[in-house]
Amino acid sequence: MSTPAATAPAALPLASSAPVTGKALSIGLAGLAVTAVGLLISSPSQVALSYLVGITYWTAIAIGTLLLILIHHITDASWSVVIRRQWEHWLASFKWLALLFLPLVLATLLYQKDVVWPWMNPAHVMHGHGTVETDILYQKKASFLNLPMFLGMTASFFAIWCWLSARLRQASFTQDTDGNPQWTQMNRKTSAFGIPLTALALSFAAIYWVKSLEYHWFSTMYGVWFFANCIRGALAVGVLIMLWLWKRGDYKGILNTNHLHSIGQLCFAFTVFWAYVTFSQYFLIWNANVPEETFWYNLRELNHDGSISQWKYVGFVILFGHFFVPFLYLLSYKHKVVHSKIKPIVIWILSIILIDLCYNILPALKDEHGDAQPFLSLNLLWVLSSVVGIGGICVWAYLKSFPTTKLIPIRDPRIEECITHHE
Amino acid sequence: MPAEPYGLIATFETAADIYHAAEQVRDAGYKRWDCITPCPVHGLDKAMGVKRSIVPRISLAGGLTGFCTGMSMIWWMNSYDYPLTVGGKPLFSPMFAFPISYELTILFTAFATIGGMFIVNRLPMHYHAVLKYEHIRRGLDDRFFVVIEARDPKFNLAATRALLEQAGGLAVTELEA
Repeated sequence: MSTPAATAPAALPLASSAPVTGKALSIGLAGLAVTAVGLLISSPSQVALSYLVGITYWTAIAIGTLLLILIHHITDASWSVVIRRQWEHWLASFKWLALLFLPLVLATLLYQKDVVWPWMNPAHVMHGHGTVETDILYQKKASFLNLPMFLGMTASFFAIWCWLSARLRQASFTQDTDGNPQWTQMNRKTSAFGIPLTALALSFAAIYWVKSLEYHWFSTMYGVWFFANCIRGALAVGVLIMLWLWKRGDYKGILNTNHLHSIGQLCFAFTVFWAYVTFSQYFLIWNANVPEETFWYNLRELNHDGSISQWKYVGFVILFGHFFVPFLYLLSYKHKVVHSKIKPIVIWILSIILIDLCYNILPALKDEHGDAQPFLSLNLLWVLSSVVGIGGICVWAYLKSFPTTKLIPIRDPRIEECITHHE
Repeated sequence: MPAEPYGLIATFETAADIYHAAEQVRDAGYKRWDCITPCPVHGLDKAMGVKRSIVPRISLAGGLTGFCTGMSMIWWMNSYDYPLTVGGKPLFSPMFAFPISYELTILFTAFATIGGMFIVNRLPMHYHAVLKYEHIRRGLDDRFFVVIEARDPKFNLAATRALLEQAGGLAVTELEA
């Protein structure tokens, strides 16, 4: 490691705040309010599962951000130093996400035990299976799938993410003032234990929050699938922040074509990774053809009378939209580096991640025949209001943290290498 | 010395010198010329006006060939030439053909990339005129060279020499073909 970048202009002022900060908060609160109004129109389960899509979506993006920072430190990366600072600001959303997860827990504890997760109520009637209590598949999994475990685990996921975020942010922000390379060393150590901790937490979060909605099902790929979406979301948000700061003028003279090329390559790589994992999950289940596993996909393809479910088309949208479109589009160098070309594809990726989460979560809502409730329904409105609501809070948390430090970590040992980044 | 030399070689002492010289040679409209440097000089490709390589296109063609080979091979073997039902699955499905097609996509992409790189660089090349230049080894150490080939349409012995000297080139020398 070289000496602290003492030559960097220490007089660089704090980043100037964005006038939209307050607006983000209002939009967020409005979205949450609309979701609450949904309770008057749709059933509590419909609103709660739609809200679960929203909270999982933004938590995934925050987890991806945390992982990218951790990977940045463990690999001693230089190209990403400037964008790392923005990801650090994004981590400010974790404590709000923890708070926003509470309504689901409270609804379960105070209102109805199976409002979101059917297995939380032993008397919950399974379609054609008796109750959860008498279900052998539940009994075998009961030591894992029980309320105290769920609550304890969920609390520790957020505790881990918030604690790691606080450590990374504090070290990086303090380095701005004292320029001590010790902070970089400390963050590298944080990453060494932070990566496995975060990986375990996100895998178990995916299992508890999403996969357990159909607790009969198992897939060893589930945590990895969730991880792929986390990283893809964080990269897309990273690109949007880069473009925003460039357009506003902050990043002039800091960002060059190669930064976008590098992050674009990662967007491309994780497109392939997502496809690899998602295909593997589908292929193994398709090939083995075991009813305990295939029912999960059957539910998303056919209704009980053999008619085609809307979710089948959603599956095709995910196959083509989440893999083929971004894969073929991002093959081109130009599409990664021209601002007007990379912007639509990252927005597209962010939208398809949402549809992917809908595909995984919403079919847990059944109609009277045990079929999945259709994709195009009022539920979609509550998904959108939750996403806007929680997203508004996350963006507000980011924008509130943004002007508290300098725009880039000016005294990071790798900052010069980053600003002159070349492919 | 033969009537037609291979070209002219000029020496530069710093990366900054060769960078600016490259800009001048580029702006003078030369097409068949090159820079020899002991280390990568960031931005030199732009200063030389070099376009992005066509190798990625060759890679893409290789990848598509590999994917189609995998799919058609499995369809031909399992469903057409010797129809065989395995595990109650259809005779052909892109599902089970996918892993093989995916592997062949990667394999053929790798072949096309390496092959394309060799072809575009005209490798293997056992002889090059600059190897006869007595100081060329310093191009591996501490000197930078610009070589302009005689077959460039704009090449003119006197004018090109003047350009290189004006760009700051030292010891401008004719290269034997």
